Amino acid sequence: MLDNLSSSLKDALKKLAGKTVVDRAAVDELVKDLQRALISSDVNVKLVMELSKAIRTRSLDEQLPKGTNVREHVLRIVYQELVRLVWASTEVRLEPQTILMAGLQGSGKTTTTAKLARYFQKKGMKVAVICADTFRPGAYDQLNTLCTKIHVPCFGNPAEKDAIKITREGLAALREHELIIVDTQGRHALEADLIQEIIDLNILTKATHRWLVIDAALGQQASEQAKRFHEAIGIDGVIITKMDGTAKGGGAMSAVAETKSGIAFIGSGETIEDLERFDADGFISRLLGMGDLKALYEKATEAMNADDMDVNAMMKGKFTLRDMYKQLEALNKMGPLKQIMGMLPLGNMELPEGVYDVTSTKMLRYRIIMDSMTPGELDEPTLINSSRMSRIAHGSGATPDEVRELLKYFKTMQRTLKGLRGAGSGGKFNMQRLMKRFSGQQ
Amino acid sequence: MFGGLRDRLQAARNRLSSSIGAVVAPPAAEPVVTPPSSVAPGTPAATSAEPVKTAAPSFVDKVKVLVLERELIVSDKNIADALSELEMTLLESDVALPVTDAIIVSVRKNLVGKHRKIGESVDAMVVSALKTALLDVLGKGFDLREYINTHPRPVKILFTGVNGTGKTTSVAKIASYLHKQGFSVVIGAGDTYRAGAIEQIAVHAERIGIKVIQHKEGADPSAVLFDTVQYAISHKIDVVLADTAGRFHTKSNLMNQLDKIKRVMKPDLVVYVDEAVAGNDAVIRAAEFDRTVGADAIVLTKADMDSRGGAAISIAHTIGKPLMFLGVGQGYDDIIPFDPAGVVDELLDGA
Repeated sequence: MLDNLSSSLKDALKKLAGKTVVDRAAVDELVKDLQRALISSDVNVKLVMELSKAIRTRSLDEQLPKGTNVREHVLRIVYQELVRLVWASTEVRLEPQTILMAGLQGSGKTTTTAKLARYFQKKGMKVAVICADTFRPGAYDQLNTLCTKIHVPCFGNPAEKDAIKITREGLAALREHELIIVDTQGRHALEADLIQEIIDLNILTKATHRWLVIDAALGQQASEQAKRFHEAIGIDGVIITKMDGTAKGGGAMSAVAETKSGIAFIGSGETIEDLERFDADGFISRLLGMGDLKALYEKATEAMNADDMDVNAMMKGKFTLRDMYKQLEALNKMGPLKQIMGMLPLGNMELPEGVYDVTSTKMLRYRIIMDSMTPGELDEPTLINSSRMSRIAHGSGATPDEVRELLKYFKTMQRTLKGLRGAGSGGKFNMQRLMKRFSGQQ
Repeated sequence: MFGGLRDRLQAARNRLSSSIGAVVAPPAAEPVVTPPSSVAPGTPAATSAEPVKTAAPSFVDKVKVLVLERELIVSDKNIADALSELEMTLLESDVALPVTDAIIVSVRKNLVGKHRKIGESVDAMVVSALKTALLDVLGKGFDLREYINTHPRPVKILFTGVNGTGKTTSVAKIASYLHKQGFSVVIGAGDTYRAGAIEQIAVHAERIGIKVIQHKEGADPSAVLFDTVQYAISHKIDVVLADTAGRFHTKSNLMNQLDKIKRVMKPDLVVYVDEAVAGNDAVIRAAEFDRTVGADAIVLTKADMDSRGGAAISIAHTIGKPLMFLGVGQGYDDIIPFDPAGVVDELLDGA
């Protein structure tokens, strides 16, 4: 179902691709698909509505920047708006501090506490952990077992029922440790006495950070819970757990928006090493279920400079080997072909798996062969006779057959472009058709 | 429980009623919407873009309608706004997107094209449409006591689910519930992976006063649960509750392990445990668990977290299995058997 969704989003983007003017209906459709994508990823419904409104207004009102097409324009706005939401990345300093963990039952606080201890330990900090979960049976055993494995001291007492007392004793006992992480019992916002407990813990520990642990699968409830936790102790960072499942973490995004904080870490596995710093781009890509938006956006602007490719000349039919050389170079700058295809929201375009590898090595070969040609030959390929061919082959370490193949490929490209001009479809280089021709060559 | 959803549904319901009511308001000005037609008595089509034209009653009917019971047909247009509001309500309540779509379609199908007699209450119509849609989705409940009474002992129940949904706590609560109902219960500590899990279930069992069969951390869960079943057979125990480690449906090795557990202990019931606060992912993972290891009933935990209960609707709709229990707190008694009709009545009850 999610695959359908992301491909429908891609299709919506694809519809924008050929347009030169921002089309209201197409933008509306895109925004609708975007809403569905975000809601399926558990982002708060109200937040989605605000977001899509902003994207819609900006897409329609803002001037189309020179040199970009509509698709890039809208993509950029979508990307900017989403990043703005999760932007405030929580800074993690390596200095003496106390971290208080908070969260709902079963969100993964204890496991994350151990992972965090491991993270700071690897950075060379002297870490210790206090188990202030006095409610759940086995909580101390769990944390203690995990901490013993990484040789981090764990303070706790399963017989004691007073979390405040344990924490006070723990802080005293672990005084010489630089970084202390306090694991707490799971609680939700409606349990008033437990909320009071965490307020007291916060005051007692004078915590430098109060991190809210959020299950990636948490739904619409995330905003409300985050809000109440924020009111109680002032959350300054969110940790998303269980990102190794299929959940998208939209709830965490709502929580971040609610607490005006950032996402500090992401937990994505069951071993103690499975903790990563947050990466906004990867997160957003996952949220929308499509390729890496930012990379696409940046690479496309960078590689497709007007200097690199004289589209107008090509459309007039003056397509020479030199143009093809530039084209191959431009493609090369964007990285492996497969990656480019993954990044382009081309929707339902399917290429056979083998094509990618063959073509990218072929492209390299072609460029080497062309390096052995004279400027005259590059401008006027018809000059190349069999004697020149064997000279070129000799110079580039290729066989005359390969040179012939290159020339054949060139002719196909030339014909493709002429065909495009004839059909009068847009004014843009048609990648899809080109690829079809290209794979036909093999 | 479900308080949030109830408030929202009632608001949506009022909105639906008023938008239908608004169409009805000038009954004199807009007499009958039946086009003159000689077609034999037609049945009003359930759903259509132009439901007005599809109604084709016979002449007698027409006269009857004209004279006696002025009817109005609810059209798609009348309720479009209200339905989109209902859609938002459901989405905000964590009902997953595909399930929301299904409910909206069902309500629309039930309302559009309906003849409404002047005397008939708009409200009643809307409520019944919503009720049908929700009951459709929630299905029947599951009476565990009844099940145990009608099946050979020991009844073996296996609990599965992803990490942190509350399997161990639910096992303890259900053990306590059955214990109080007079059944003898044994728990198998099948979560041998998570640190502290065996201690957790052991402490619970000690408090409730029932036996736990346990091995060391890292042992083969199938072996633990096999021993538990053997113990139950030789001690004539009524119910075996098998706890397992949380696992993600994406980890095929762990799912295979669950398969092995199933082969070894041959459970009578596989119970899928998930949390009421889960969002759209609830649907994906429930479907995956149902596909790979199967699920006969569902336990929904953490329903006390101001939950709007959308996950209950989503999961039930996705795998079509009944909800057995709701976990509503941290105490052993904080578990209630799920009664769909009761819940739907409660949701739609009141003003």
